[in-house]
Amino acid sequence: MSKQSQERPNWGLSYGELVWRRFRKSRLNMACLIFVAFLLLLAVFAPFLASDRPFIVRIDGKLHFPLFKNLQLADYCIFLAAGVASLQLFVGSRRQNRKFRILSPVCCLLYVGLGSMLILAFVPRRLDATDYRALIASGKASNAVFPPIPYGYDRTNLELCRQPPSRRHWLGTDDVGTDVLCRLIHGSRISLAVGFVAVGISTIIGIVAGAILGYFGGKVDFIGMRIVEAVMAIPVFFLIITMMAFFPRSILNIMIIIGITGWTGSARFIRAEFLKLRRQDFVQAAISLALPLRSILFRHMLPNAIAPVLVNATFGISSAIFIEAALSFLGFGVAPPTPSWGQMLSLGVSTTGRFLWWLTLFPGLAIFLTVMAYNLAGEGLRDAIDPPRAGTALVSPALTGRVPPAVPGVNTAEGGRKTR
Amino acid sequence: MNGDDTILNFRFSIGNRRSAIGNQLSVEGLCVGFFTQACPETGLSRAKSRGRGNGVVPAVQDVSFSIKKGQTFALVGESGCGKTATALAIMRLLPAGQSRVVQGKILFEGRNLLELSEKQMRLIRGSKISMVFQEPATSLNPVYTVGDQIAEAIELHQNKNAGQAWEDAAAILRKVGIADPERRALEYPHRLSGGMQQRVMIAMAISCNPVLLIADEPTTALDTTVQAQILDLLDDLRKQNGMSILLITHNLGVAAQRADIIAVMYASRLVEIADSRQLLAQPHHPYTQGLLRSLPRLGSPPTGSGVERLQTIPGTVPEALHLPGGCKFHPRCRVGCADMRCRKIEPALREIQPGRWAACWRAPGYE
Amino acid sequence: MIPTLLGITIVVFAISKIAPGDPVSLSVGASGQMDAERAGDLRAARMRLYGLDKPVYVQYADWLGHVVRLDFGDSIKHRRPVIKLIKERLPITLTLNLIALAIVYAVSLPVGILAAVKHGRFFDRASSVILLMLWSLPVMWVGQMLIGYFTGPTPLKAGWFPPAGLSSNYAESASGAPFLPWLADRLWHLVLPVLCLSYTGFAYLAKQVRAAMLDSLQMDYVRTARAKGLSEPAVILRHAFPNSIIPLITIMATLLPAMFAGSVIIEKIFSIPGMGLLAFEAVTNRDYNVVMAVATIAGVLNLVGLLFGDIAYAIADPRISFDRPAPAKRHAEPSAV
Repeated sequence: MSKQSQERPNWGLSYGELVWRRFRKSRLNMACLIFVAFLLLLAVFAPFLASDRPFIVRIDGKLHFPLFKNLQLADYCIFLAAGVASLQLFVGSRRQNRKFRILSPVCCLLYVGLGSMLILAFVPRRLDATDYRALIASGKASNAVFPPIPYGYDRTNLELCRQPPSRRHWLGTDDVGTDVLCRLIHGSRISLAVGFVAVGISTIIGIVAGAILGYFGGKVDFIGMRIVEAVMAIPVFFLIITMMAFFPRSILNIMIIIGITGWTGSARFIRAEFLKLRRQDFVQAAISLALPLRSILFRHMLPNAIAPVLVNATFGISSAIFIEAALSFLGFGVAPPTPSWGQMLSLGVSTTGRFLWWLTLFPGLAIFLTVMAYNLAGEGLRDAIDPPRAGTALVSPALTGRVPPAVPGVNTAEGGRKTR
Repeated sequence: MNGDDTILNFRFSIGNRRSAIGNQLSVEGLCVGFFTQACPETGLSRAKSRGRGNGVVPAVQDVSFSIKKGQTFALVGESGCGKTATALAIMRLLPAGQSRVVQGKILFEGRNLLELSEKQMRLIRGSKISMVFQEPATSLNPVYTVGDQIAEAIELHQNKNAGQAWEDAAAILRKVGIADPERRALEYPHRLSGGMQQRVMIAMAISCNPVLLIADEPTTALDTTVQAQILDLLDDLRKQNGMSILLITHNLGVAAQRADIIAVMYASRLVEIADSRQLLAQPHHPYTQGLLRSLPRLGSPPTGSGVERLQTIPGTVPEALHLPGGCKFHPRCRVGCADMRCRKIEPALREIQPGRWAACWRAPGYE
Repeated sequence: MIPTLLGITIVVFAISKIAPGDPVSLSVGASGQMDAERAGDLRAARMRLYGLDKPVYVQYADWLGHVVRLDFGDSIKHRRPVIKLIKERLPITLTLNLIALAIVYAVSLPVGILAAVKHGRFFDRASSVILLMLWSLPVMWVGQMLIGYFTGPTPLKAGWFPPAGLSSNYAESASGAPFLPWLADRLWHLVLPVLCLSYTGFAYLAKQVRAAMLDSLQMDYVRTARAKGLSEPAVILRHAFPNSIIPLITIMATLLPAMFAGSVIIEKIFSIPGMGLLAFEAVTNRDYNVVMAVATIAGVLNLVGLLFGDIAYAIADPRISFDRPAPAKRHAEPSAV
């Protein structure tokens, strides 16, 4: 990126590049980004990390590849989406072509979003129910190479249920005997999918609604704001569980419901920015050139107004992950056997009152770290977009007890007189 | 040159000490710096130095002057030349994390204000030295009534209880020319006009009979008609109470009308100090000359082609990070831009006649 | 206010109408044993009974008429009028939330002010990170952990707090029991739930207090207060702080709905018979009347909270009067000089 700006020495850095530089300066921000990337990798490569089907196995002398043969449509879509996304991230940042740079992130997001929605909604199941571990135990198969965590997230094993962490099950087992670590890894897919898709939906609705309200103003604005206030008046969580009462439980419904109830924040930000931008000269110029409305709104005004919405979206992701976990905890979320962190958390106190600490600690820790990573990233983004004033102490040193640092003497004259 | 300078310095500082007797306030060699993330040594801007600079921008350099009892002393200069920083330094109100007094002395009633503890300084602020700020609308706390705010200062410094302080506050409001003061004292600041707000600020400042009043551009935010009234008020109060006024302004006309002594600042340094009438009649520093020349005059005869252009000082004020070497004014000076001495060596402020100081190699009587 | 109230009712009603399925099918069930004609008749009769054969806006008007008279129908599970259920449960939830709100304010104000005063120093940075961590802690995790480690009786953990319910059994049954022990018992039961409910709000509010104080400390009138010779604590507490209260009051309006939402989870974890638990049970049992009633009442309470916030804002800021909109900070009404 810096190479580009050196090739065009007078063009300076774009706004996005400036924000990225400021964001990059803090080590905490980069740590959050790395953690988020780590989670994404976990989610994408989950079947290769935790599955009870081996990569290779020799049965009756022939080599089989059960893991690869049993990858679902979902997995393929996720791989493809992740591949396209990372490709565009690296290639796009090096290309000079402006159009490519603007289009490709939008396409990426659309692709990933749509892809995740499709896969999780219409998962075809071509189950291979062969228990390879039993086969190996009974000697029929040999030379098996298992993934690092050789348990499946949907394989129940009632003899081993509610076991604390041990050498075999590193984080213990849950109430039907499934390995906790395996379910954690696969659960990250659900959490992240809900997070991104729900926020995508709410941001898009919010941007469109806010843009229309802010651009037209007047009556449209008045009526629209009443609607926004009405939706905002009901506590969001109540609204969500109300809707969960009426609609069937499925992950697609959860995504849509969280998305539909969360758009008001983005709408208000965009509306406020658009109301300000509407009066600016460049918008008046665009209008006077009779540009189409969608071009004015989304090509000219939106990039100027998007910054607070991006920050809101980041906090929205953490909030969506939390809401999904809370819903699953209460029993309104995804149904087993689909793994969910919240649902695992709810098993922490068994019906007999026994406290299963490994089922409380690990899923809770996963939720906590993920939510905190996104919150920190959101704060870092907010500081990068709007840096706070540096180093101001607004209170006299007498109260803070802080002595200002020693300052080198100021050169008072060329002749070299420094002090009197 | 060094040797000569030292002797002249010595003379200058002795002269200062002699006239120190009878001075209300005496500032010597004040230097104030503002912290910045740029590096003024290398001249890099903040962005290029990646926010890692720990430079200091000189806001006030080597400022020395003294104010006598009952005098109005005007400090004149453009925005950003360091006048307000000087005033804040005297009150020790500079923002603590952003700036620092690098060196200097401020002598007041026999003590160096810069060496006092915060507690001692608090006894002086508001009671011996007070300050009136530029924007009265934002300088008054919106959630307290006007009377409350004045009474607070009185209660603090004069050991009176709330009732007495309130009566005193009403009395002072009458003194600054506000009609019906008992009722006005119950108003909140936002209900008063700009002129009245400034009167309230002045009332707050004089409530404890200070000996020095610092007025930082007291009329800049007000209408012209109100400006005259406020300045008259300050004059009257000065005569009644025998206090000195340090008037900071960028308006040479105001300074000319109201001040006894005018000091001109340019780019963080004092360039000329003189009695106001002498300054206007015969300015010695090219900057002052340029300022006076640039004032449009009514009825001046046309020159040559019949069209008279307004005179300006060519160029712009230098950036604090990139001050020129030598005399700070030399790039814009008619005579100094070619003079090698002006370009290389900074002229110090010297007393060229009794009561007149100038910082210019070409000022008569400078060497 | 009124349009928003209407809007709430419309939203709630719309949800119930958009949902797939209707109460009739549920109650009639898969009547596989009846022949088609009788099943059809039964359905038609039931539809007439519930008024589901009328057009939507008539249904809405009917429902609204009932709601205004606080008649939300009967709970299917409890077989009692919904409004009676709510009357029993609402005070408990309100008590819980109001106590938590008070604690939130009591703790956040000092922490926020101190963080603003020591801006940029260790306390500020450390508290900033800790507050963010608190804000990110999921409520159900904290609740479960607290139950697991601090409630008895388990061999390893200390049985300091009771795990569930609002009061111990003996206190309920003893009639004419003296007040103070009853109160003490109630409070003891409330400690953990209130703690869970308040820590998120505390993190959020402390950051807001800090931000508001930072803004306030930069204002000119703080400089004037210092120029008068006031001591630093007086400057901060008497001049900077009252000006930063004003945005904090309106924040109360956003804290309340968040707390209501938290109530659902916490009441479920700690088995406290409040409105949150009622909502949870209703959703689980598909008790539609109760669900709609709870959603409407939650919305109305929220609006009431907003109204209180507006009134308190108007009282606190002398620049606001009821007959004109709030002026900008630098506006001064002209009067005789």
